[in-house]
Amino acid sequence: MAETEAIGSGHHMTNQTGREFRDLAIRLAGDEVKTCIQCGTCSSSCSTAHLMDASIRKLVQLVLEGRKEEAMACESIWLCTSCLLCTVRCPRGIRPKAVVSALRQIFEQEGRRNKDQAFERLFMDQIKSCGRISEFMLSAVYPLKNPLSTVPIMEMGIELMPKGKIAWQISCIEGISEIRRIFEEMDRQ
Amino acid sequence: MKLAYYPGCVARSTGKEYDLSTRAVAQALGVELEEISDWNCCGATHCSNQDLAVALSARNLARTGLPVMTSCSICYSNLRDAAIRLQDRTLRDRVNRVLEVKYQGSTIKHVLEVIMEGLEGEEGGKRVVVPLGGLRVAPYYGCLLTRPKGGIDSPEQPQVLESLIRRLGGEPVEFPLKMLCCGGPIFMPQDGATSESVLRILRSARQAGAEAVVAVCPLCHLMLDAKQRLAEAKSGEELGLPVLYVTQLAGIALGLGPDELGLEMNSVSALEVAEEIYRRMSGEQQC
Repeated sequence: MAETEAIGSGHHMTNQTGREFRDLAIRLAGDEVKTCIQCGTCSSSCSTAHLMDASIRKLVQLVLEGRKEEAMACESIWLCTSCLLCTVRCPRGIRPKAVVSALRQIFEQEGRRNKDQAFERLFMDQIKSCGRISEFMLSAVYPLKNPLSTVPIMEMGIELMPKGKIAWQISCIEGISEIRRIFEEMDRQ
Repeated sequence: MKLAYYPGCVARSTGKEYDLSTRAVAQALGVELEEISDWNCCGATHCSNQDLAVALSARNLARTGLPVMTSCSICYSNLRDAAIRLQDRTLRDRVNRVLEVKYQGSTIKHVLEVIMEGLEGEEGGKRVVVPLGGLRVAPYYGCLLTRPKGGIDSPEQPQVLESLIRRLGGEPVEFPLKMLCCGGPIFMPQDGATSESVLRILRSARQAGAEAVVAVCPLCHLMLDAKQRLAEAKSGEELGLPVLYVTQLAGIALGLGPDELGLEMNSVSALEVAEEIYRRMSGEQQC
């Protein structure tokens, strides 16, 4: 039904949750999102489109129609590789990647959790606590959050170890208090 | 010429040979690199809060007055994106309120750009002391070298790598998947998706007749090189395609030795590529 409705006119927009979701996502992703004409250039450029349950175009539509639960349930949010081809090509100057980022942020802020969000969190927490990323630490900790990743990560480790390409030591930067201030300030919406 | 160098986090681990060969090539081209003091991670592709991503990059850019060079396409894209978004006065003021050293504008270069500049003109041509002898090379751009637009080359029809390969005496092959994403950013949570992309890209390079692939990003390299062996084992398909960093390929042509370029650190032997190039050169000299 909603597919044929004009963008933004869906019944979801009459409820408050839908409106708040739409407004927040647009604020995070940029006002130009409202100008989407649903041409699908983003989806047809997407390198992981074939793996997605909902295309990038559809994610934008769900945002504009305030269909929060449907948007939050899409695995597509986590299959974006941030390649930016959609963003380079959008004829309306929208950054569809920014829409994906906004949905990831909202997902997490609401306390929703999954294996992909766990990876993003782990990555950012490491920057917040050390200033830099240790691939060794990421590889050691992530399997605890996602046991299915254990084998591929170990295989990669075994491949890299003899080449001396695993850095076991973790050193934090000196300006770590500045990094923490940056996180605090920028997390304030 | 003096440039600030932003190595990025993987320069100390999975991308060691990229860091090593970047420094060696810069020296060979007479470019002095000054590593940015106490630099931090740019957030790579994992920072959903875009203002935070801009601020993380801004801290790095603010710490030097020199143009900033990086070898990583993800860092390059993030630093450039930040510089573009920091033109917005409101965001810039907000970011500068938390930075110890204030951001005042910056120029960002990818190492590929620095190599191209170093090889310009007659003087630059003389630097190619070990020409690649017509080696057929697949130019793998990946995603972020040319995105967002306005950087080193067109995001739709880039040619800079082809130009470089020719300049070094090699032959760039027609490589239809040269810009298909390797899937690196999601390889830990979504391993299957990445393995499939890696196989498709390498098959495309193989079918194009490539003897080697050249990469410009440490994550692309990790996927195409280290993961190639794992993908081969799983699919039963033999690819055996060496993937060289742009600095390794250029370094060979500039006459740098395998140790200086970390050629023994690649998963699929890059040493054999170097040996093939040396063999062709000595063959030509005998003729």
